[in-house]
Parts: sequence; structure tokens; C-alpha cells
Amino acid sequence: MSEQATGLGHGVASLVKGLIPYLLAVVASFIAAGIFIAAMGFDVLHAYSTILFTSFKTPYGFIQTLLKFVPLLLQALAFTVPLIAGKYNIGGEGQLIVGAIGATAVGIMLAGLPLPLLLPLVLLAGIVFGGFWAAIPAWLLYRFGINEILTTVMMNFISFSLIDYVATEIWRDPAAGHPTTVPIGVGGELPLLVARPPLNSGIVLALAVAILVYVYASRTPGGYELVASGANPRASRVFGINVRRMFLLSLILGGALAGLSGAIEVTGVQHRLIEGLQSNFLLLGIIIGLISRGNLLAVPFVAFFIAVLEVGASAMQRTMMIPVEMVLIVEALVLLFVLLSDVVRRR
Amino acid sequence: MDQFEVQIVGLARLVMLAMVPYVLASQGTMLGGRTGLFSVSQEGIMLVGASVGFLGAYLYDSLIYGILLALFVGGLFGLALAYFTTTLKMNQFVIGLALVFFGVGLSTLLPKLAIGVTLQPPLIPTLKSVPIPILRGIPILGPILFNQNLLVYFAILLSFFLYYLLYKTSIGLELRSVGENPKAADSLGVNVSRMRYVTAIVGGMLMGLAGAYLPMVYTGTFTQGMVQGRGWISIALTFFGGWSPLPILLGSLFFAGVEVLALRVQIGAFGVPYQFLLTLPYIATILVMIFASRRLRPPAFLGQNYDRERRTLA
Repeated sequence: MSEQATGLGHGVASLVKGLIPYLLAVVASFIAAGIFIAAMGFDVLHAYSTILFTSFKTPYGFIQTLLKFVPLLLQALAFTVPLIAGKYNIGGEGQLIVGAIGATAVGIMLAGLPLPLLLPLVLLAGIVFGGFWAAIPAWLLYRFGINEILTTVMMNFISFSLIDYVATEIWRDPAAGHPTTVPIGVGGELPLLVARPPLNSGIVLALAVAILVYVYASRTPGGYELVASGANPRASRVFGINVRRMFLLSLILGGALAGLSGAIEVTGVQHRLIEGLQSNFLLLGIIIGLISRGNLLAVPFVAFFIAVLEVGASAMQRTMMIPVEMVLIVEALVLLFVLLSDVVRRR
Repeated sequence: MDQFEVQIVGLARLVMLAMVPYVLASQGTMLGGRTGLFSVSQEGIMLVGASVGFLGAYLYDSLIYGILLALFVGGLFGLALAYFTTTLKMNQFVIGLALVFFGVGLSTLLPKLAIGVTLQPPLIPTLKSVPIPILRGIPILGPILFNQNLLVYFAILLSFFLYYLLYKTSIGLELRSVGENPKAADSLGVNVSRMRYVTAIVGGMLMGLAGAYLPMVYTGTFTQGMVQGRGWISIALTFFGGWSPLPILLGSLFFAGVEVLALRVQIGAFGVPYQFLLTLPYIATILVMIFASRRLRPPAFLGQNYDRERRTLA
């Protein structure tokens, strides 16, 4: 009993110890960016209170934050799962777009189906299409040993043309000014959790997936092989793990996660395919994954923090005229300081 | 000249123009890579270079200021890459990606802060052609090669200079040895980390200049994301060129040709939807990487940090 208690106490202590570098990194980056904001002649305290508290002041702000949190969480996982195996998936953007295209295609072509049939099919299409889009660079890595950073990025650029083609040629909505498809069938729409302001059930799905991924990586033999391949590929090979296959698998899994985020944007938020729906989720997903340093438990919390910053930054741009890009600098600084804390600890 | 010849010469001139950013960014990548420092920040540094290059030219009313500013900021990014990876021994890919984020953020932030949002895009003059006397008179080759802006000449001369430096001088030999076997180079008295700092800074300057070229030649203004993957493509191009200056020059010509084909020939050509023509540079990049992976060998120590106190390599 007492042993358990000290074990728990030890766990809390190590958690707090683990959090300290994060908190220091956040404070340091806010100070560094604050100096810059002040030098530009803006009110720093007002700017930061807007950034940090917009999400919690009104129900609208909070739901905005949750809506942003869903794609960020899935994009971050799409980057983190391959990262655990030591591979860099910079193609989450293209995988999201192609996943969204797949979801839209099914949602439009089978528009008459009822919800219990159509919704799962639409989501599945997103997962499969996203996984397929990642499978191409994954196969190139497996077969030819080609650096995955480069090929995943190239697949992003190719997907921009693909979505433009789909939204302007195949299922174009002539009434829309911007390249947009006609809506998917009503049966493909995610049910709402909260009616006003609208919050779709994508968040439940995203959290469930995050838990599944965590359980896979930490509690199953396959997940163990994944972690081992990333931690020490040479030893893993000696141990009989097919390391190259784990690389392949991790990238496809990442693509499937990103594809799901595309499907959720279509079924939950837009109900149609809109060019530009990928926003800057890729960049933020990578930042979240790197700040979490591959720790799947940390990813949802960091993703929520970044969602708060993003929603706050838009409010700051509206009310104070401080460009929204300012917050990207803050986020990059947080990342840099978190990474630097590793260096400090090593010494 | 008949009509057909005029068209061919016109297209060839466009290819030469489009070649420059690829040459500059890839030679910058090659320099760092030859010492083992693998930068993946090209896209970010080029965006910042385009942004500050445009701003310098706009605010000080002179393209020279824009170019100097782009060189300076690009060099700073290179310095940061060298410091974090060589001195602090942090992962090269992770730091490279972090620098991309800074580049993306800064490139749109700076014009908004310095100029604000305007109805009409603020414009700078574009780089003028500087014809070379006598040589410009050569039929066909004259207008293609010798009636271009100064950065076209610079990109070509730079490639030959780098070839000479790398393969015909002792500094070049030392530089290459650092990327192949830093331990051996170190034991022979080559300063590994200084070599990496210098190539990272010069490489960053070239990438910054590559970015500044875009508003100065194509658009006359900065637009968000205007690098459009050229930075990433430059990495593939460097592999394709076998991390060697002259093949990189030829490879740049190839990619410039694909770009001109995709961007200028798109309207109504071959009955193919233009969206598919636009993907050509990216598909070419992937194909080229397959070729490079089978035929060419990158520097042995590419992407790894060197710690002189550790006994083993890798």
C-alpha cells in the first residue's frame, strides 16, 4: 500500500519534472515574441490576454477551439506515428486533401444512402485515400530507399492540382465563386453534439483514434516493433524485426490518419469539398508532433494548446491589427526552446 | 529569323531565366551537404529571401538593397542551422524543419508589418537584361545566353567556380573530405566545424538570393507561398546532380525546362487539363529521385553530426 503510494507520488513528481521544460519554453518564447510585439508598438499584455483567453471567454470561442483541435490532433498524429519509427511524414497536407477528395466522391456518388451506411463509407474512403496517398512515398522508400521528406512534400503539391481538378471540373458547384464541389448526401454528415454554436461529433472520433493509436504503440507487439525500429534500427534488425516494413507501415498509417482528418472536415464542417480546406494544419501538426517529441500522450494536450493560440491569434488580428502570422513565430519559438531544453539536460 | 525560330529562342530564354533559382538553391544545398550538413530549410529560406528581397528593394527603391538584405538574412538562417546542429548537436532534419516554420511565418509577417495591407500590390521594378557586347550578336545563342539579367550570368559562373573550388584546390579537397569522413579529416588537421559553419552560411546566402530572384524577375511583388516548392525541388535536384556543381547546373536546366513547359505551355496544349501539366515538376522530381537512388551516391556522412569525442562513426 505504502509502496503504491510512493509509486504514485513518484509518478506525479516525474510528470511535473517533465512539464517544467515545456512551461519554461512557453514562457521564454512569449517573452522573446513579446519584445518583438512591443517594439512594433503594440500593447503586449492586451495581445497575450487575447491570445490566451479568447477560447475560454465565450461558448463560441470554445467551440471554435474544439473545431480547430480536431484536424490539428489528427495531423499531429499523422506526423508523430512515422516519427516514432524515425521517419518524417511532411505529406499530411496532401493526405488530408486526397482523403477529403475520397470522402467527397463517395458522399456525392452514393448520396441517396441513409446515414448508418453512408457516414461510415465516407469516413472509410477518407482513411483509405489518405493511406493510399502516403503509400506512394512509403513504397518509394521501401523499394528504392528514397528520402521520404522530399517525396511526401511532392505529393502535397500534386494534390493541389488534383483538388483543383475535382472542384472545378468533375463536381463543380456553379453557384460558388471559389472552386467548390456540390454538397455530399445528407446521410454523410456527422451528427452534431451541440446545436448552437454547431459542434460536430468529429471530436469524439478524433479522441477515440488518439487513444487507439496510443494503445497500439504502447501495448501491442506491432507497436513495440514500431518503437524499436525508430529507437535503434540496427538492433531491431538483428532482433528479427523487418525495419523497412515498419517504415512503410508507419507512413501509411500516418496517411490514413491525415486522410481521416480530411474526411472529418468534409463530413463535419463543410459538407462539401472546398479548395484550401487544408488551411495550415500540416505546419501546425508538425510543430505539435515535434514539441511532443514523439510522445503520443503529450500530443492531444499540445494540440489543444496550439488550437487555443490559433483561435486567440485570429481574434488578436481582428481587434488589434497584429498580423496572425505573429503566432506562428511564437509557436516556432516554443518548439525551438523545447528542443533546446534537451540540449541543456544533456550537459 | 522565321517565326518558328523566334518562338524557340523565346522559350529557351525563359528556360534560362527559370533556371537561376534552382541553380542557386541547389549549389547552396550541395555546399552544405558536401560537409555532411543536410539542410531541408530551402523552401523557408527562399520564402524569407523573396520577402526581404522585395521589401529591401521596395523600401530603399533599389534592387541592390533587396539583394543584399536577402543575402544577409539567408546567411543568418544558415548560421542558425550550423549553430544548432554543429555546436549544439541537434537533429539536422528537426532544426531544418523548424527553420522552415520561421521562414514561412516571417515571410508573410514582415511585409504586413512594413507596408501593411494595400489595395494595389506594391511593385518593384524587375531586373533588367544586360546584353554582353559582341557575344550577343551570335545568331540564336546570342539572345539566349548573352542577353540576360546579371543573376543568370552569376548562376552559371558560380557553378563553374564551385567546380574549380571543389575539385582543383586543396580547400575543395578538405571540404569534400569532411562530408565523406570527418574523423579522418579532423585527424589531418581540417577544422570540421568551421568548414560546416562556412558552407552553411554561404549556402543560406545562396538560398536567400534564390528567393529574392522570384519577385525581382517574375512578379515584381511578394505573394504568400510564391516559392511553390522550388526549394524542395532543389533538394531532389542536388541528389540528381550527384552533389556535384556542373551536373547540378545541367539538372537545373532540365527542371527549368519542365517548369516552363508546365507554366507557359499550359493553355489548351495537347488537350490535357492544365492541372495535370502543373504537376509535371513534382512528378519529374520523384522520377529523378528514383534515378538518383540507383545511380548516384550522396556524401557518406550526409545528415549526421560529428562529435570528435565519440570513438565510432555513425
